Amino acid sequence: MTVKDLSQVEGLKAHHVAEGDQAVKDIYCGDLLSDVMANAQEDSALLTIQAHKNTVAVASLLGLGVIVLCNGRTPPSDMIEAAKSEDISIFSSSANHYKTALAITPFL
Amino acid sequence: MGLYRIDLHNHSSLSPCAEDDFSPFLLAIEAKEKGIDILGLSDHNSTDNLKAFAEACKIVDLIPFFGIEVTTIEEVHVLVSFQHIAPALAFGSWVNDHLPYYPNNEKLFGRQLIYDEEGNQTAEVEQMLATATTLGFEEVIDKALREGALAIPAHIDRGSNSVLSNLGFLPELPYSAIEVVTPRSEFEELGYPVLTGSDAHRFEEVGIRSCVIELSDRSAKALIAALNGRRCGE
Repeated sequence: MTVKDLSQVEGLKAHHVAEGDQAVKDIYCGDLLSDVMANAQEDSALLTIQAHKNTVAVASLLGLGVIVLCNGRTPPSDMIEAAKSEDISIFSSSANHYKTALAITPFL
Repeated sequence: MGLYRIDLHNHSSLSPCAEDDFSPFLLAIEAKEKGIDILGLSDHNSTDNLKAFAEACKIVDLIPFFGIEVTTIEEVHVLVSFQHIAPALAFGSWVNDHLPYYPNNEKLFGRQLIYDEEGNQTAEVEQMLATATTLGFEEVIDKALREGALAIPAHIDRGSNSVLSNLGFLPELPYSAIEVVTPRSEFEELGYPVLTGSDAHRFEEVGIRSCVIELSDRSAKALIAALNGRRCGE
């Protein structure tokens, strides 16, 4: 699937959808960014509660095209600005990581 | 006894996301202008700008505190600050030994610049400082206090990289103080001195959250005694 397909997933709200067809091949759930740095694979969707711009930096370094903020967290404006400049999409969900991952999985 | 303005939490050009021209000299000169008596430099996971900071404070007549803001394995920020530079540099070396290597990405985090004692940019740290060490929160607090430093959980009321956001509670440890962004009565009730710190990453932020504390005199020793001395003196 591509990042744009995430718009079809029930329960996900789009905050910024980047241009292009960035692939989403896997999901990585993690709130410790150092763990995400060490283990997330390129082209994964990152499911996290870390709603700040450092998460965008980590996603950019690793080639993760989309961040999905879980548990009702919403991105602050500087996070959205950073995402725009790095071509990374941001969605949010009121559900937890597990339920959000379950909702995305059929589209992978 | 007297009231003195302190600001232990500041960064320089070495820290990720700090401005490239924000040298320890610029920090010290502006802090002096802002009426600060005791000034700390605490770059993220590095002490490489402390020698320049020592010289800068000597020139403008400020009492220096030689610090580092450690990112623990739980991604909690802890300020560790020394009265003297030598143990601070040794502590910085210990922290660096526990920092996993990733190359810095200048586009995302900016350059990580070192200044010498004459105020010249002399080197650049290639290792990404904006990541977590493998050191535990309690391990950092314990070692800092054993070595006579101030050990202060940073900005505990912030939504990320704070002890409350990442652990969910404040472990009962003999901290020198706790640092908050916005003082509230509930923090006073935790039983530790409550400090604010500017966390300046650029010139415009110097002194924005300095705080005033009562000390026996204008000296580093008096600040250590006031914060660390409580445990045996109170």
